[in-house]
This record gives sequence, structure tokens and C-alpha cells, in this order.
Amino acid sequence: MRIMSSKLKRIVVVFLCAQAYALSGCTTTANQDLSVSEVDPYEDINRKVYAFNMTVDEYVAEPVANAYKTVAPDVVRTGVSNFFGNLKTINTVINDVLQGKFQQSAEDSGRFLVNSTVGLGGLLDIATDMGLEHHEEDFDQTFAVWGVPQGSYLMLPFLGPSTTRGIPGAVLDTAANPATYVGMPVQVLQVLEVVNARANADGALKFIDEAALDPYVFTRESYLQWRNNLINDGNVNADANDDIDELLELEEAFFEENDAEKLTDQAPDKN
Amino acid sequence: MYQSLINKISVLFLLLLLGLTEVYAEDILSAREVVENFQDELLDVMKNGKELGYKGRFDKLEKPVIESHDLNMIARVVVGREWENMSSDQQDKFVEVFSRFSVASYAHNFKEYSGESFKFESEEETGRGGVIVHTYLVIPDDKDVKFDYMLKKKGNSWKIINIIANGVSDLALRRSEYGSILKRDGYDVLIEKISEKIDLYSKQ
Repeated sequence: MRIMSSKLKRIVVVFLCAQAYALSGCTTTANQDLSVSEVDPYEDINRKVYAFNMTVDEYVAEPVANAYKTVAPDVVRTGVSNFFGNLKTINTVINDVLQGKFQQSAEDSGRFLVNSTVGLGGLLDIATDMGLEHHEEDFDQTFAVWGVPQGSYLMLPFLGPSTTRGIPGAVLDTAANPATYVGMPVQVLQVLEVVNARANADGALKFIDEAALDPYVFTRESYLQWRNNLINDGNVNADANDDIDELLELEEAFFEENDAEKLTDQAPDKN
Repeated sequence: MYQSLINKISVLFLLLLLGLTEVYAEDILSAREVVENFQDELLDVMKNGKELGYKGRFDKLEKPVIESHDLNMIARVVVGREWENMSSDQQDKFVEVFSRFSVASYAHNFKEYSGESFKFESEEETGRGGVIVHTYLVIPDDKDVKFDYMLKKKGNSWKIINIIANGVSDLALRRSEYGSILKRDGYDVLIEKISEKIDLYSKQ
């Protein structure tokens, strides 16, 4: 255990250094081309990986998920996601504590205890019915709360969207998930979890397909905003204000332009 | 004699005052009312979604969407700096297509009703004269979806300029998307892609 934690520490340090490096690069290039997304300097590679992932999805993941959906009734699918969701609660509790959310860590511990016992080892989500709400916390969010910058957007093969900060986060999340350490039956079930997750994401993927003009950018923006929202615990105000500021600047420019037009229209009358 | 005249005048004056406040109340809906009226329209369309069909939903939503949203502003913000590089014909055409797309998206996405309702949570002013109206879409047997509306005053009325659903800002999302398409493929492709979507929605 000790060896492992020092190993993990090293991983984190290496990534933090990499980030500092990436960031220093960022500040010098940020203003050169405003049309290029600052969070996505590897867009060309990312787009290729995204296209690859979509092909894998089309030919493997989607057919498997569809087959699974026809075989597994809703009850089974809910049970599978409850079971693995329950195991992840341990990670949630750890990160609650690391972010100083002690009240929430008590609630999440309660969730884990209730669902592991009365909820038949996590198959049933009794805790939610009892009013113990599900929280989503992980190491990436903890790092963000600690002030580690997000870094660049990365599209990982098979795994999907992430960021430079998200990778060490995901490594630690996996390390804190008991499913990683238990033997055979659960490990086979983990494949099931992936299939299950894909089946449950069907609606969202269809929505992207329908709504997006550029599915790559749509995925990137909604992923980054969704992560930000989790980091801020659903409090939109900070982000919304940034957004509105930018917007109002544009608006002011717009009105100035209009006013200028009006003034030139009126100019002959005035003189 | 004088007394009754004064009475009459004061009554008239009161009536006038009442009339004025009524006009005042009618003209200026609060930001919250703008949002809630629009949400009522949406729910109404959802409830009759199947009978109305896509075309019916589109027609019924067109007026409420145009009246409650500042589509000119949204369209302009969504293309960002590229706006200045467009000719005024291109700008007009874009606003027109974008407005149609906005109504079409609502008509496409709000087509069914299974007991949903909107719940007002709170209202807050932003730094520079905007208002954020926090609401929830309550879905039976599912998690609530947070809908935060950002409004700005345009002339005498409040207009929606952004919707943030569960923390995902529609305006920011579209801005990145449209910006990227304009940069990579140009104006014509953008218009083409939006038109394709509208077509697709109308066929479903």
C-alpha cells in the first residue's frame, strides 16, 4: 500500500509538472490565433481519435449495447449500474473528505452502508429512496478544488474525453475502486458495466447526433462544461457571470456600432 | 358642491392612477414572468405534442420563442467575431435561419409529455443589469434538470439570451460550435448544416 501511494504521488507530480509546462506554453500562444480553442491545442489529433472512437462505437459498442438491451430488462440494467455505482461511492467519500465536505462525506458513507446491506450488496439504490442523494465526486474534481489547472482537452482512444488533469484523476479513481482488486467474477462483470454504461448513454449519444452541427466540438464543449459544473457543485453563477461579461462586451460593441450608424443618419438633421 | 367636485376629481384621479398601474403591469413583465410564460407554452405544446405533430408544434411555438428570446442578439453572439466579416445580407440571412432553427429545435425536442413541470427556484441580478432566473424541470421518477435562464432588458421587456441546462450553457456551446465551423468550412457550409438540421427535424 505504501509503495503504491508513493507511486501515485510520483504520477501526480509528473502530471503537475507537465501541466505547468503546458500552461507556460499556453500563455505565450494564447493570443496568436483567437479562433483556435485554447483548451484544445491538439484538436487535429483529437479529432482523429474521436473519429476512431465513433467508428469503434458504430461497429462494436453500439451493436453490443443494443444486443444487451434486448436481452437485459430494465431491472437488470439498473441493478448493474447500481452495483458498480455503489462501489464507486468509496471513492466519492474519499474525495468528499479531501475537499473538506464532511457533511457530504457522512451522507455518502451512509449511502454506501445502506445500499451494501439493505440494498443487497448495492443492487438496489435504497439510499436514494430514503432521501440520501447521490453525489458525484472524484480526484479530478478534488485537484480542481485544490487549484490544479485543467490543462488541455484530450480525446483518449476507447475511453473518450478527458483533460491533462483528468488522467491522473482517473488513475486514482480506479485505484480507489474496490472493483479493481477483487477477483474473477467482478472483473468479468466490469465488461458488463462498460456495455451497460454504453446502453444507458444511448439517449445522450442520439441527442448529440441530432443536435450537433459539429459533433466533435459539441462533445468537447458539453464535456468541459459538465465537468466544470461538477467541480462547482452545480453552482452556475461564477461561470454564468464570465459568460455574461464576454457577451455584454460584444453587446456593447454592437450597440456602439448601431449608435454610430444612427448618429451618421441623424447628422444632416442636426447640422 | 365643491366638496362633491373634489370627490369626483379625486375618484377620477384614482381611476386614472389605477389604469396607469394596470398598463404598467401589462407592459413590463418581470424576467421571472417572461420565463414562466414561456415554460407554460412549452408544457402546453408538450401535452398536445402528438396531436399537433411537428408542424403544429412549430407554428404554436414560433411566436412565444421569438417574443421571449432575443434571437438577434443570440445569433450575433453565437458567431462571435466572425459577425463583422459577414455582409449585412449574410447577417440577415443568418439571423433568419438561426431563428427558424431555434424554433425547430424546441418543436423537435419538446414533443412528448409524461408529467413534467417547471419549478421556480430563485432570481438574481448579475453585475451588469442582467437577471438569472433559476428553475427546475421536474421529471417524474427522474432527477430534476436545472434550467437557468439569463435575461437582459431590451427596450421595455426582458428577453432570454441564454439557457444553462444542468450547467451546460447553450450559448457557449453553440458559440464554440459555430465558430469552429465558420473557421474550418466557412459561412455557406454553416448555413447549409443548419438548414439540413431543420429539414431533418421536420421529417421526424
